Amino acid sequence: MTAIVDIKDLRVEYRKGALGQGPKVAVDGLNLRVHQGEVFGFLGPNGAGKTTTMNVLLGFVNATSGTACLFGVNVNEPIARQRIGYLPELTYYYKFLTAEELLRFYARVFGIPRAETDKRIDELLKLVELQDARKRPIKSYSKGMQQRVGLAQALINDPDLLILDEPTSGLDPIGRMKVREIIQRLKNKGKTVFFSSHELGEVETVCDRVAILHQGKLVVEGRVDELVAKYQTNLEQVFLKVVGYQPAQV
Amino acid sequence: MNTVLALSQVVIKELYRRKDFYVLFVLTALITLVMGSANFFNDDKIVRYLKELCLLLIWISALFIAVGASARQIPAERENRTIFPLLAKPVTRGQVVAGKFLGCWLACGIALLMFYGFLGAVSISREHEWLVLNYFQALWLQWIFLAIVIALVLWGSIVFTAPSSNATICVVLVIGIWGLGRYLNHVALQEREPLRSVIYTIYFLIPHLEWFDVRDKVMIHGRGLVPWVDCFLATLYGAAYTLLFLFATWLGFRRKALNT
Amino acid sequence: MAVCFTLGTCLQLRVEKWNTRAQSDSLLAILLGDGQRMFANHFFTKADVYFHSGYYPSWMDQGMATPDPGHMTEEHHDEHEEAEHEKAMDFLGAPKDWIDRFGRNFFPSTHAHLDKPGESREILPWLRLSADMDPQRIQTYTVGAFWLRRELGKVDEAEQFLREGLKANPDSCEILLELGRLYDENRHNPVHAGNLMQLALRRWDEQEQAQKKPDEGIRLQVLIFLSHVEEEQGNFRQALHYRELELSLSPPQPEIVKQQIEELRAKLGEEKRAEQTPGSKSQTLEK
Ligand SMILES: Nc1ncnc2c1ncn2[C@@H]1O[C@H](COP(=O)(O)OP(=O)(O)OP(=O)(O)O)[C@@H](O)[C@H]1O
Ligand SMILES: [Mg+2]
Repeated sequence: MTAIVDIKDLRVEYRKGALGQGPKVAVDGLNLRVHQGEVFGFLGPNGAGKTTTMNVLLGFVNATSGTACLFGVNVNEPIARQRIGYLPELTYYYKFLTAEELLRFYARVFGIPRAETDKRIDELLKLVELQDARKRPIKSYSKGMQQRVGLAQALINDPDLLILDEPTSGLDPIGRMKVREIIQRLKNKGKTVFFSSHELGEVETVCDRVAILHQGKLVVEGRVDELVAKYQTNLEQVFLKVVGYQPAQV
Repeated sequence: MNTVLALSQVVIKELYRRKDFYVLFVLTALITLVMGSANFFNDDKIVRYLKELCLLLIWISALFIAVGASARQIPAERENRTIFPLLAKPVTRGQVVAGKFLGCWLACGIALLMFYGFLGAVSISREHEWLVLNYFQALWLQWIFLAIVIALVLWGSIVFTAPSSNATICVVLVIGIWGLGRYLNHVALQEREPLRSVIYTIYFLIPHLEWFDVRDKVMIHGRGLVPWVDCFLATLYGAAYTLLFLFATWLGFRRKALNT
Repeated sequence: MAVCFTLGTCLQLRVEKWNTRAQSDSLLAILLGDGQRMFANHFFTKADVYFHSGYYPSWMDQGMATPDPGHMTEEHHDEHEEAEHEKAMDFLGAPKDWIDRFGRNFFPSTHAHLDKPGESREILPWLRLSADMDPQRIQTYTVGAFWLRRELGKVDEAEQFLREGLKANPDSCEILLELGRLYDENRHNPVHAGNLMQLALRRWDEQEQAQKKPDEGIRLQVLIFLSHVEEEQGNFRQALHYRELELSLSPPQPEIVKQQIEELRAKLGEEKRAEQTPGSKSQTLEK
């Protein structure tokens, strides 16, 4: 099996740490492989370094040391972008555009032909349930609607690898269900999904494998069913255990 | 190229969906019309003062539109984090810079067309003639001027963090060069040696923006056209500076970590 | 009670005095006053810029005084004067480097005056604004009236402008002189023109007595004009009187004045002879 995502000894330091301290180490010696056709859950408490890792994968942040490859190509070379869909966290899309215009713009960037674009936009807007709002400027959208727009733009090029940073944040239960369905569908089509999440229940249901990151270090990696079997409890308890959570004494 | 055009289209859409352009246009039109309604010794053919006023307003408005628009492009991409989904697609940072520049420049061109159209209408109503070539030349050179300014401001938006400080610095710089650049050699000749060479060097390094301001010669005082050869050379000169600034922008942007 | 009252009135008077002083001397008024004068000067210069079709030294063109805008009304018959003005306006000099040389293609960089018919109307708005900003600026009125009546055939507007200036500056000999010229040249009413000139002369004398040092040149021009008007009407004696006064002011070309005086004397002599031999008067007039 080929590794779609291949991270070796990755270390990322932010030069500006807290005042008076040295550089902040966000990711420390991370090794990770995601294979073709896998749904991979990337977990960890706030500030663990999930977003940072994804930023390295997309070339937004330079690795201090170590390497990262997508489709076997080093991320410093902007070749593999054509086949990637990316949903960033906390993004405010061009407020003055409508959802339709936004998707059309991104489709143009991918060089998708016009007829094909129209078809995909209709499909995607239906998928994320934004048909009614497609002609309204994005600045009039609710938080969840913006998240759906993000999801739609990540899928516009029918990507082989999806990198999703907390795709369900801000979504209502139906929206979450929908995202789970989408991920499942992509998996069935043989696509690879690499996503971070704090919703352990949903991770447990859709993921093949998970990795848990804590303070920049990988603490657990493995198949979901194996982990559950090994620790004899559900994923949430596994998570709490490995990050060293002590229940408060009541 | 398609990517660059797509990017520029977004910029243009942003500009005409915002209100500031319309405010400046209406303000210019209003002030011109009010001044145009003044009666000077019962002579209704007087037109030059009105052209001068209107052109002054056009230049100020265009400068503010250009600086305001280009100063916020890249910072807004980073602040709203739209740069992330964008660069996750097959878009290079160079294309982002080029697209932003092209969008601002084309939008300014559209704005200029509207402003000059208005000016033409006002002056036709008094002069009963329309010197198309003069209008074209003045508009073209002003557009080149704006290209240099936009490229400069884009560069500034990489160098300085706050868009407002960048805009202020650029406006001061541009107005300074525009108003005083021509005289730096006089100033240099009045100084003593080390300073003289310094000023002369600056004089040769700065883009001579004042060349592109042909209001007095071509538009107001009817001194005829700038020779087309010189017009062409000035265009080359402006394009060179524009490319230089864009290149500097790209150099700065290329290696910049985006999430800081 | 009475004390209170007087005190009150005293105070009130004081306060009133204070108020008036505050009003006249307030910093704001001074600032605004000077600002307005500055603007008036600026607009007047602007008129001159327009007169030169945009070829004009800016405040950065150092090493030269700004040209005297009064030349806007002078007709440069005199070649010497013409050359002088030409020299004064050569503020650009030879190009110092290629940037300088090339840059001259883009702004008005050759000396010119408005000369197309009707083109001079373009300077009018600036003069109007200048007069509005500073009604005490006399040159504005004379220059404006000159262009209105000489180039644009707007005699009524010129007269109105001058009268407006006269209202703001009742003592101005310059405005009276220009008004007199208007009556003579445009309205062909030398009698009224003469009256205006005499008034101008009187004003001048008054100002001299008040030791305000009025402009000698104006007096000279008034005198020339008066003698001309009087001569036109056949009052040779009066004309002679004015010419003699003129000579006493040391005019630039005294020989010509002397010659004119001689001619007037001759005419006077003829007149006398004609009076002595009745019947020949009509002959001289025919001449
Ligand atoms: N630009 C930055 N400069 C300095 N430190 C940063 C920067 N971005 C992130 N960090 C630090 O790096 C660490 C990892 O951050 P990161 O955003 O990767 O966390 P995360 O796992 O995505 O957390 P969350 O679940 O809250 O999204 C944090 O301690 C954060 O403070
Ligand atoms: Mg995160």
